Amino acid sequence: MRLWSRLRSWLRVTLGRSRMESEMDAELRFHVEAYAQDLVRGGVQRDEAMRRARIAFGGIERVKEEGREARGASLVESLVQDFRYGLRMLGKTPGFTLIAVTILALGVGSNTAVFSLIDALLLRSLAVPEPQELVHISYGPPGQPGPLSGPMFDRLRERQSSFTDLFAWTNAPMVLTENGVARPIQAAYATGSAFPTLKLTPRLGRLLEWQDDEAGGANRFNAVISEAFWVEHFRAEAGALGQTLIVNGAAATIVGVMPRSFNGITVDYAPQVVLPFAFETALHGKSSGRFEPAQRWLFAMGRRKPGVSNTRAQANLAAIAGDVLKEALPAHYQSVDYLRDGGLSLAPGRTGNSPLGEVYSRPLWTLQALVGLLMILCCANLASLLLSRSLSRQHELVVRSALGAGRMRLIRQLVIESTMLAVAGAGAGIVLSQWMSSLLVGYIEQSDFPVFLDLRPNAAVFLWTIGLAVLTVVLAGALPALHMTRFDTEAMLRSGKQRGLSRRKNRLAACLLPLQVALSLLLVSVALLFAVSTGRLLRVAPGFQVKGVTLFGVDFEHRPEKGEARLELYRKMLDAIRQSPGVEAASVLAIRPLSEAGIDQSAAAVEGNGPEEKHLFQNVVGANYFATAGTKVLVGREFSQVDRSGGTPVCILNQAAAKFFFPRQIALGMHVRSTMPIATLPNCEIVGVVADAKYNSLRQPAPPTIYHPYEQASLIFPDFDPGFITRSRGTSAAVAAFKDALHRFAPDTPLLPVVTMQRQLEDSVGRERLLAVTSLFFGGVALLLTSIGLYGLETQRVTQRTAEIGLRVALGAQRHDVLRSILREAALFFVVGVPMGLALTAVASRFVGSLLYEISPLDPALHAVAVLAMLAVGFLAAYLPARRATRVDPMVALRYE
Amino acid sequence: MDKQLDLLQGTLDMLILKAVSLGPLHGYGILLRIQQISKDRLEIQQGSLYPALYRLEHQGWIASEWGESENKRRAKYYRLTAAGKRRFQTEAEKWNRMTEVIAAILGTKPEEV
Repeated sequence: MRLWSRLRSWLRVTLGRSRMESEMDAELRFHVEAYAQDLVRGGVQRDEAMRRARIAFGGIERVKEEGREARGASLVESLVQDFRYGLRMLGKTPGFTLIAVTILALGVGSNTAVFSLIDALLLRSLAVPEPQELVHISYGPPGQPGPLSGPMFDRLRERQSSFTDLFAWTNAPMVLTENGVARPIQAAYATGSAFPTLKLTPRLGRLLEWQDDEAGGANRFNAVISEAFWVEHFRAEAGALGQTLIVNGAAATIVGVMPRSFNGITVDYAPQVVLPFAFETALHGKSSGRFEPAQRWLFAMGRRKPGVSNTRAQANLAAIAGDVLKEALPAHYQSVDYLRDGGLSLAPGRTGNSPLGEVYSRPLWTLQALVGLLMILCCANLASLLLSRSLSRQHELVVRSALGAGRMRLIRQLVIESTMLAVAGAGAGIVLSQWMSSLLVGYIEQSDFPVFLDLRPNAAVFLWTIGLAVLTVVLAGALPALHMTRFDTEAMLRSGKQRGLSRRKNRLAACLLPLQVALSLLLVSVALLFAVSTGRLLRVAPGFQVKGVTLFGVDFEHRPEKGEARLELYRKMLDAIRQSPGVEAASVLAIRPLSEAGIDQSAAAVEGNGPEEKHLFQNVVGANYFATAGTKVLVGREFSQVDRSGGTPVCILNQAAAKFFFPRQIALGMHVRSTMPIATLPNCEIVGVVADAKYNSLRQPAPPTIYHPYEQASLIFPDFDPGFITRSRGTSAAVAAFKDALHRFAPDTPLLPVVTMQRQLEDSVGRERLLAVTSLFFGGVALLLTSIGLYGLETQRVTQRTAEIGLRVALGAQRHDVLRSILREAALFFVVGVPMGLALTAVASRFVGSLLYEISPLDPALHAVAVLAMLAVGFLAAYLPARRATRVDPMVALRYE
Repeated sequence: MDKQLDLLQGTLDMLILKAVSLGPLHGYGILLRIQQISKDRLEIQQGSLYPALYRLEHQGWIASEWGESENKRRAKYYRLTAAGKRRFQTEAEKWNRMTEVIAAILGTKPEEV
């Protein structure tokens, strides 16, 4: 009964709020009027009676507030009230609200963007049960772990005892033929143990098992597909099971769909189709690498048995490693670069494999540090913004407290407003971060290799963002709230001034400013360092032409033409391309400049430098290649149609190689021989020396390089297909010419992504560009925020000092005296902040040094520029309010006081 | 400070319950009734009456409805509920026992100790 009446009262109050208010109002008015009437009856004048009645009743608003509280209205009701009030207050100052939300959105957005990238690339666990039990097993010299060979994996799997099982996995782009159209897809090979070891549950059907990976058999192979592929190709229908896919020219039957959350074991590569290794063995027959001891291409993982620690697993591996390697390595392994001095090692496999993460881990953590600092700057900025706003709200707070609002209520109000700002800022930040992270991924992405990154914000990202928002509320909202509500209402009302308080708060804001100056100086310096470094890198002469050059990949693996017929196919295509309008030159090449690929060779000169051998980089190029790529031929000639199989084996050296082998002679006409264990090339005659051109990286000097003509090299490497290279007036002319040729001579092969040399160059400095562009953006934001902060503070100070300035002007001070005194004050922030910033930069430079190209992290000129930029922006931010101060009319100012 | 308020509050609650136990009254009427019974010996802050009324109503001791006052105006009348009646009796008993004890203590002479 009592509970019921309480609930009823509470419901009535909560639901019928306006009715309760009007009833309460009527009731209290009735009381006052009834009392006044009694007084009138006692002989008091009507007006006087009303006045006395009101005084006797006391503060009507306070009674109402206590009444609401007594009815249980207060908690929900007053929260709603505070919320509404807060909205109104924020709406009343749209400029402030907009700036505050923007600051927060920038801080939270950039942090979330960088963090979700770090999370996706480096931190996120594979979506499998107990991912922490997974380990990578690698082979390689200490510090350079890499893939295993097939025999290494098989012997290891036979002997090991600390894992429930091992599996091998290799990502391999493949060609899917659908209705006669071929197109590239992302695919992977897996051993039959992969899915059982990962403990994955199928989305549909079943996943691959051991019997799917058995060699030989009926030449029927099974495959599993990703959920995205299933939706795209089979409209998510169960009928997909049992369908046949034509992959790399062979058939495989779909037996199941992988769960949506599983995107392979490599974070940036989501296979659409996973096939058993047996498929590869059947497809390639004798040339398959599955059981080839000299080919390392299997990424091996294992799942530790429950209760087996990492240390024990490691000890177990060390115990069997000797025998495994003895059985698995080929006899001549000591003479093969990529097999020599290797050992087996274990590494945690929780997050899967992340080659991209390895490359980008340092730049990304550097960016995370920068955006972390930016977040501190945002908080400091927001705090000073809220503080200066509190000044203008002082009066409002005093009045509210006089009308009966308790201190807790005022603090709650301020905290609610900060929370609203934080929520709005965090929300806007998350939206912004989606956009920013796709921009960041754009810098990471290589044009000929689509990067798959799962950037859906997950719990970690959300926690991170919410953590930042709460931090902001505490730092910028609640602390000033405590500070602001500590006043003596009566004294404040009586004096009508807010002096004592504002000076104290000003001091807090003034302490925050040097910090902002220091942080933004640091961010600006680091941004300039990365920008200058990247600019220098991009201006390096690569040794080949960039403008107008376009690169095309081909996939001729399944073309019927072999041997001489394949060469004829290339000749016909080249002729067709060369004759197309707009194309100036065309050729073929095996290794694209500045790609991650490369061919090793070690060779020695037959004459000249004697038996001394040299490690060389190698490329296989077609006739007319150097003219097409724009690399200068210094001596002799370049390859031409006459360099065919059956002719004298010829080669071309670059200047670095020629200088090594023939330091005192003319290289032309001399011979070099391969010193590789399996001689991959015969002795060849040098017919030309070309200018040095960058091979893998713009950062490294051009390595000694040897070039072989394609038509001669094709005998030694029968299974490789070089790509095409063109020089043309516009990219579109070249693309049209290539498409046309492909369509005429090899219609059933896929068109692979076309890459301009410009893009190739930019991709190769993706890391540097990512750092430069993003840090410049963050540096700019930092400068802007600091200048807004300074501008706000100075404006407010000038307003407060209006009377004083007026007095000084009245007493004869010149305008420039006033200007100077205000600027001097602002300069103090820089006197403190700039050395602080320089000290911070000196510390930070130790971490960024290794990411820079040909610039010292302590480059004095660059830091001078950063300081000057900082001072210029600061001067502008302080000058505007100062100039306003000089316009103060002494009469107006004094009268106001 | 707080304790004094509590005591006052508790007392005011009891006086209100007593006033409305004699028949439905509006807020002003309750004030007058208390002053009349106490022969003006109690000074009640007029405004503080209403939060007390709302609290009692919220707890279900009294109920209210709108009616017409002596001079034909709309006024809110409060009456005692059954639960309020029981509550008032126990409170009054408690109060009486308390005052007896306290009076006895205060009235104790040195030789009686």
